[in-house]
Amino acid sequence: MSELALLENYLIVGAMLFGIGLIGFLARRNMIVMFLCAEMMLQGVSVSLVAWGRFHNDFGGQMLVLFMIAVAACEAAVALALILVLFQKTKNLDVAAWHSLREANLPGFQEERLPEPECEEPPAWPHLPPAGVQPPLPQQETEYRRDV
Amino acid sequence: MTDPQRYSALATILAAAGMWLLLPRAGARGKAVGAVLVAAAGGLLLSQVPALNGWTAQGTFYLLVVVTLGSAVATVSLASPVYSAIWFGMSLAGTAGLFLYQGAEFLAAATIVVYAGAILVTFLFVLMLAQPRGRARYDRVSWEALVSAATGAVMSGVLAIAVVAALHPRTQGGPGLQTTERAELVQHVLAEDHVAQIGRELYGRHLLAVEVAGVLLLAALVGTAAIVSSRAESGRRTAAEEIRGVSEPLSSRPRA
Repeated sequence: MSELALLENYLIVGAMLFGIGLIGFLARRNMIVMFLCAEMMLQGVSVSLVAWGRFHNDFGGQMLVLFMIAVAACEAAVALALILVLFQKTKNLDVAAWHSLREANLPGFQEERLPEPECEEPPAWPHLPPAGVQPPLPQQETEYRRDV
Repeated sequence: MTDPQRYSALATILAAAGMWLLLPRAGARGKAVGAVLVAAAGGLLLSQVPALNGWTAQGTFYLLVVVTLGSAVATVSLASPVYSAIWFGMSLAGTAGLFLYQGAEFLAAATIVVYAGAILVTFLFVLMLAQPRGRARYDRVSWEALVSAATGAVMSGVLAIAVVAALHPRTQGGPGLQTTERAELVQHVLAEDHVAQIGRELYGRHLLAVEVAGVLLLAALVGTAAIVSSRAESGRRTAAEEIRGVSEPLSSRPRA
């Protein structure tokens, strides 16, 4: 009975991991995060396969997971090369930048307006009497980010 | 609908709402509520299946599950892609622990070495290479957050209901699965020379698949090199064209 309980627990965990990866793949717009989520779906399937392999006392499940790891390595290499090429073209990782590859009868992607992120504390600049021309602010301080 | 199915449906709704709150939506609030909802949904789903033998076994399993699924949720919901990748590494560590818990020692090591050691580091490398300045707008919004969260939650919920129904035919009215007492059979997968048996299996029954996987890896290597080198060549050509474009006015300049 314990083996059956173990199988059920693992299948539920695998299903949840697959679902979380699916949510990320559908929702996120960063191409690299999308590929991470695809790998996470593979992990969910791996967990289920290992559980079935133990339940049926067969090495087939673990063999399949080994080959999945090999295929995932190939996939990651090719995908990252493609992402690098795409990044060179548009200078960002947004998958919506390639909406021109959509079906011919679908409407194009419209970016909705977003409120800009408010910064926590504006930097306190020294108060100077107006004299001469205003010096340019150092670029490093205008682009300061608390978290990457 | 029986009670476990009702609870699973409730967990699906909770998970959909929680993931919708957790996904990046341009700085919208409610992340803590979303985390609580997702945790409640996971606990509700896991409470539908029978417990393992003994509280140490159950506790270890739940610890691994919390690490794996919590890191997975963080991967999906954090806006910064660098943090997403690092949390994905944590999720991989949890998955390796789950493999180890099943007695799959070799797979646990392979997951750490190949996934966390090679694939994830390559992902982070490309991420650092391609990191645009400032927090990117496309990282702070999601495609259709509610529909995506509902899709994933329904997928998980349906799978969980199907698992419980399939493995408990009498109480759940499902099709059923032939189960026998296999206490002595499990010694095979959990044997002491587990890795040796995996090697025997891999290079015996699956020898052809190993060869095909080797060819696939080689093809991926060559393909990746071709993709990247074609980009470099085109870049060189544009540089040559630039030089030609600079030198042309000089040569076509009328002589004074």
